[in-house]
Amino acid sequence: MSIWSGWLAGSAIGALMVALYWVTNKQLGISTAYGYACQVLPGADHFRHPEFRRTNRWRLWFGLGIPLGAVLAGAGDGLTVTTGMGPLYEQALPQDLYLRGLMLLAAGTLMGLGARMAGGCTSGHVISGVSLLNRPSLLAGALFFLGGLLAVQVLFLQTGA
Amino acid sequence: MPAIHLVFGTGFGFLLSRAGATEFDFYARLFLFQDLQLLWVISSAVAVGVAGILLLKRTGAQSVVGRQALTFEGRPYRRGLVLGALLFGAGWGLAGACPGSVLAMLGQGKLAALPTMVGIVLGTWLYALLPTLRRI
Repeated sequence: MSIWSGWLAGSAIGALMVALYWVTNKQLGISTAYGYACQVLPGADHFRHPEFRRTNRWRLWFGLGIPLGAVLAGAGDGLTVTTGMGPLYEQALPQDLYLRGLMLLAAGTLMGLGARMAGGCTSGHVISGVSLLNRPSLLAGALFFLGGLLAVQVLFLQTGA
Repeated sequence: MPAIHLVFGTGFGFLLSRAGATEFDFYARLFLFQDLQLLWVISSAVAVGVAGILLLKRTGAQSVVGRQALTFEGRPYRRGLVLGALLFGAGWGLAGACPGSVLAMLGQGKLAALPTMVGIVLGTWLYALLPTLRRI
């Protein structure tokens, strides 16, 4: 997988967000798509209101595009399926694949719940919200980084990384 | 308009892959201050974003689809924001992925993103199931 320099890939992501805004008047974001998908689950009436469904249907299509784009990006390399994560997480997370999976499930749960409580994730609050200079998004973005910093520092304490 | 959003989503997935957002270890390296790739990605996305949004505001551009006046309302503050954002950040660092990048990782055949993605669905569902969480 060829990786561009950070500023180039980042600028392109910023331009994509602005283009989506210009074309459709919509703020790029992905976590609400999980809420839209959750309407099929029992007890999720919160995500079943007609107004929520009407304004967020586009997110499902946007979300479905993401893996397609990743397939395109890796098209030259040939698809490889792996459980590997790279040396750092493999060293810090449990070696047992089931335990590691449980830990990742818990981390994902924190993200899903936290994104709904905060009203967005890295894309909606940071890329779109901070670009709008929206104060709640600036606060959320700063706290995302603080939470990530604390969690990684604690996770890697015992590895000496 | 499903096709337009599918195309934008595809572009986003492609760029997340090129940005290295689909490499788990880039997240750990960011928060261990070993490699700031993802910080450059986010900062330059925001820099271009601020300039682009400003341009859209100044020119009074209408949306290309539907010809509506663009609205620039940000997401509102809510009571759970501080706790929620900290919980989100913790999960972000522990999993080495975010809700957008897990979808791209799955497209690349990185199976470790699967439990994370299932967890995100579970956490989102919990928010709907437990009214107490929505009142925090």
